[in-house]
Amino acid sequence: MPRQEVLEKTKISDRMFLFQPCVGSNKYPGLITASIEFFRKLGIELVTSDDQTCCGGFLTFTNVAQPTSTMPAVARNLAVAEEMGLDILTLCNGCHTFLTEFSHFMNDRPPVKNVVNVILSMIGREYKGSQDIYHSLEIIYKLKERIREKVTRPLNGMKFATHYGCHYLNGFKKTALDDPHMPTIMEELIEAMGGEIAEYGENRTCCGTGLTQIIINKEDLSLPHTKMKLDDLNAAEPDAVVVVCPYCLAQIDRMQQKLNYRGSGKYRVPVIHLVQLIGLALGVDTVKLGFDAHAISFRHFLKKFDSMHAKAEVHSG
Amino acid sequence: MHETNKEWLPGFDKKFAELTHQMVKDLEKCLQCGKCTGQCPAAKLSSYNPREIIRDLRMGNVEKVISSHELWLCFFCSGCYAVCPRDINFPFAISMLRYAALAQGYGWEEVKKIKDPYAQDYYNTGLSVNINERNLGIKKEIAKNSKTDGRIETVRKKMGLPPKRLVSERAMSEIKFIADATGMTDLFKEINKKKAKEKQWNYGSPADLVKVKKGPNQKFIDVEEEEKEKIS
Repeated sequence: MPRQEVLEKTKISDRMFLFQPCVGSNKYPGLITASIEFFRKLGIELVTSDDQTCCGGFLTFTNVAQPTSTMPAVARNLAVAEEMGLDILTLCNGCHTFLTEFSHFMNDRPPVKNVVNVILSMIGREYKGSQDIYHSLEIIYKLKERIREKVTRPLNGMKFATHYGCHYLNGFKKTALDDPHMPTIMEELIEAMGGEIAEYGENRTCCGTGLTQIIINKEDLSLPHTKMKLDDLNAAEPDAVVVVCPYCLAQIDRMQQKLNYRGSGKYRVPVIHLVQLIGLALGVDTVKLGFDAHAISFRHFLKKFDSMHAKAEVHSG
Repeated sequence: MHETNKEWLPGFDKKFAELTHQMVKDLEKCLQCGKCTGQCPAAKLSSYNPREIIRDLRMGNVEKVISSHELWLCFFCSGCYAVCPRDINFPFAISMLRYAALAQGYGWEEVKKIKDPYAQDYYNTGLSVNINERNLGIKKEIAKNSKTDGRIETVRKKMGLPPKRLVSERAMSEIKFIADATGMTDLFKEINKKKAKEKQWNYGSPADLVKVKKGPNQKFIDVEEEEKEKIS
């Protein structure tokens, strides 16, 4: 679908349901606080709910729970947002994929939806399928001009490499915002905030998590794959890698430490989620961005960022 | 052990759609162009070959695919779907074929690896990722970067958040009810005790393109041990 059509279909409301990712809560809490803070600056209130759990679809595609078990679990999470009358904003490629795929599956097949609702009725909920589910990139890209106006700490002089992750673009090649082979939306967003782009060849390759491969074939498949990506990334010398999925964030961040520990190279590229980067540019308090929870230090990154601003002030002053 | 083509060819599309819960369509329309394998991250590093697997399925060698070592190498990156001129959503096929493999007794040892940390956390806490960092190396780095003890609870408190993300009691009882009512809990128990059949088929030996130095492994700490540490 052409980008313009997707953008037209994307509805932005003043209040949206923030679907909290598991990795974003228990490993990188900055993703959730950063998005709540900067969306507030853009005039959008993100609402969360304690009734929301892990999306659940994850369990089906890793083969530990049948689709018949996770379908009601996913529908329950969707119903929580639906009861509040809100559209869903996801920060994780995984949550987005599972919620979207399962909701389409149920909406297209009324008998399946009915069975799911029989189970949900026993816990006092109902899934109607009336809300929209958005990936954060869709909403953020539509707000590009608003973001450009609100930038208080531009990213001038900083070089960023991008990593889109697999599931959003590949899995939704017909309905996603951009082309899966040569996407540019993140680059456009970074340039809108004043940053530069570090191009590298392995941009579109998987981070190495591979859904299950990080667990079942860590040494033979997952780690070599991450190493291959990181080697290419290092050659481009970016100040940071920008990702849109917490799993990619965890993989690229943590495996650098692991490879360093084993003496398989020297890696120290900070990994940052797009929402943290926008939070940084829009002047959200650095503590709230949660860089403390990252394995690769942001010390050099923030030092350079501050020095660029000091220089800019000297020139303008 | 291989079935004959006759068993599968008539009505293949219907049978396959059934096998994959109607999540995968048009597998019979595969052109064997090989674009999927060309871009595949797993194919780059191992003998996994999506084109060959589709060919085998199409020829009726379903048993061979199901019992193969390669069935468990897919990355689920959906790159094959992105390049496919016939729009075959192959990762979904792999996922459903893995269920078929489990039904035949293969691959239980693989799902056990996933079930133990992730699914059990989902059942116990509502989130499939544990807040306790089990890798001491990572914990040390976080401690150094944040000037704390390296626990995510502490980092969260520093950010002005509650130490753990709250999941309501209602939500917990609801997901447990769904898990019990739909057989998820039973499947977990089965995964715990089921002995896997040995995989029968290998498409080839791994290409071993990128070498990662193996070991020394980092020290892992049990959550329980950590709790004891805290108490003492």
